[in-house]
Amino acid sequence: MNRLIRAELLRARASRTVRTLAVLAPVTCVLWAGLGVALMGTDGPLPADDRVRNVYAMAQQAYVFTLLLGISGTAGEFRHQTITWRFLVTPDRGRVVDAKLAAYGIIGLAVAAVAALATLAAGALLLRLGGHPVTAPGVPAALAGAVVTVTGYGLLGVGLGALIRNQTTAVVVAMLWFMYADYLLTMLLPGLGRWLPAGAARALAGMSIGDAELLPAWAGGALFAAYVLAIVMAARLIALRRDVA
Amino acid sequence: MHRRSMSAITVTHLSKSFGRVRAVDDLSFDVERGTVTAFLGPNGAGKTTTLRMILGLVTPTWGSALVDGRPYRELADPLATVGAVLEAAAFHPGLTARVHLETLRTAAGLAPERVAHVLEQVDLTEAADRRVGGFSLGMRQRLALAGALLGDPGTLILDEPANGLDPAGVHWLRGFLRAYALQGRTVLVSTHVLAEIQQIADHAIIISEGQAVFTGPLTPGSDLEEIYLEAIR
Repeated sequence: MNRLIRAELLRARASRTVRTLAVLAPVTCVLWAGLGVALMGTDGPLPADDRVRNVYAMAQQAYVFTLLLGISGTAGEFRHQTITWRFLVTPDRGRVVDAKLAAYGIIGLAVAAVAALATLAAGALLLRLGGHPVTAPGVPAALAGAVVTVTGYGLLGVGLGALIRNQTTAVVVAMLWFMYADYLLTMLLPGLGRWLPAGAARALAGMSIGDAELLPAWAGGALFAAYVLAIVMAARLIALRRDVA
Repeated sequence: MHRRSMSAITVTHLSKSFGRVRAVDDLSFDVERGTVTAFLGPNGAGKTTTLRMILGLVTPTWGSALVDGRPYRELADPLATVGAVLEAAAFHPGLTARVHLETLRTAAGLAPERVAHVLEQVDLTEAADRRVGGFSLGMRQRLALAGALLGDPGTLILDEPANGLDPAGVHWLRGFLRAYALQGRTVLVSTHVLAEIQQIADHAIIISEGQAVFTGPLTPGSDLEEIYLEAIR
């Protein structure tokens, strides 16, 4: 199993797509944090402490990139038909996906950690320059929650890519769902939102949209893990059994 | 039973349907060790589907395909047992030849020096650190062959390996496969270039519409083209 994970990491390290996405993640977080600081001066319903915390919570904006990394790790192999080589070396296809989950878990964690550190550094600097309080209660928890969430989205991407197999479709489905559909459903049906994958992720990070209620962080984490597991199981039962032609 | 277990590849009543189309229909043959066996047939005869079933990539509707007496998916060390060059072998265009092979080698748990060795074998050492996206078709075929040779397998399965090779490449491949079989190893190769394969093959399996229409040895005097045209008629 170890050698399969090492092979995945080797391939990922050499891939320009992976490097590009890994660099874009912290850059995006920093830009979001900058926007958060810029909006500090304006009037709003949130107390100052919450606004400071929200600046650091922008570390979770890296989720888009780990999600894409995970999808490219599986669906990308189907797109380039390189999955044939994987299955020739390891005919047990479930093990190939398990190795990808482990590898993209490691990559996702690294990207998430760098994004969180970049957000922390940029957020602190910009808050200070803007003359705002640099810290507030709950900042460490928001950063830690972001790291866990961003890593989790990488695993979800691996599962989605294995299940859908078509990379373009997988990316479009993931983007539509996590950027629009989920938010829309949460706005329309606040009671439902917390049970959706993104709602579970928000619970992990302790970030709610509007007044929508969240599960406790542990329950959100367990629910998110259950979603990943369900998708991977579905991929094993359906997509991975298909012929590779 | 004993004789069958001696075969490198054993295909028994192998069948595959895609919807209502029977791509492979009750196909049975043995590929004996130490032989070069030509796997021939018109386009759409089911050659590629058969090879992919032998390699565990396509699940048969019926029947079985064994390599060294076991289904591919149950081989403990697939790359060390059988190497495969598939039609239009695919690579990630952004990766170099060396990274591609290094990834396979790592996953298969093979010795580090194997990568340089197979690159040398297929004469790709100079191009090893270039991205595969810039490779010619012939170079891709060589890289695919390098991947097949990584585990130093006893059996090679090749689907149209001469595709895209220039005359010197074809000459080189012929010599390579002949030498490979002389070491007591087995080669199963699908091709349309009858004049070429006749020079090295000692057995032929000809299929048409998913069924075997000829299986047998080729003697130095036999005319493969005549046998082929007669068989598929």
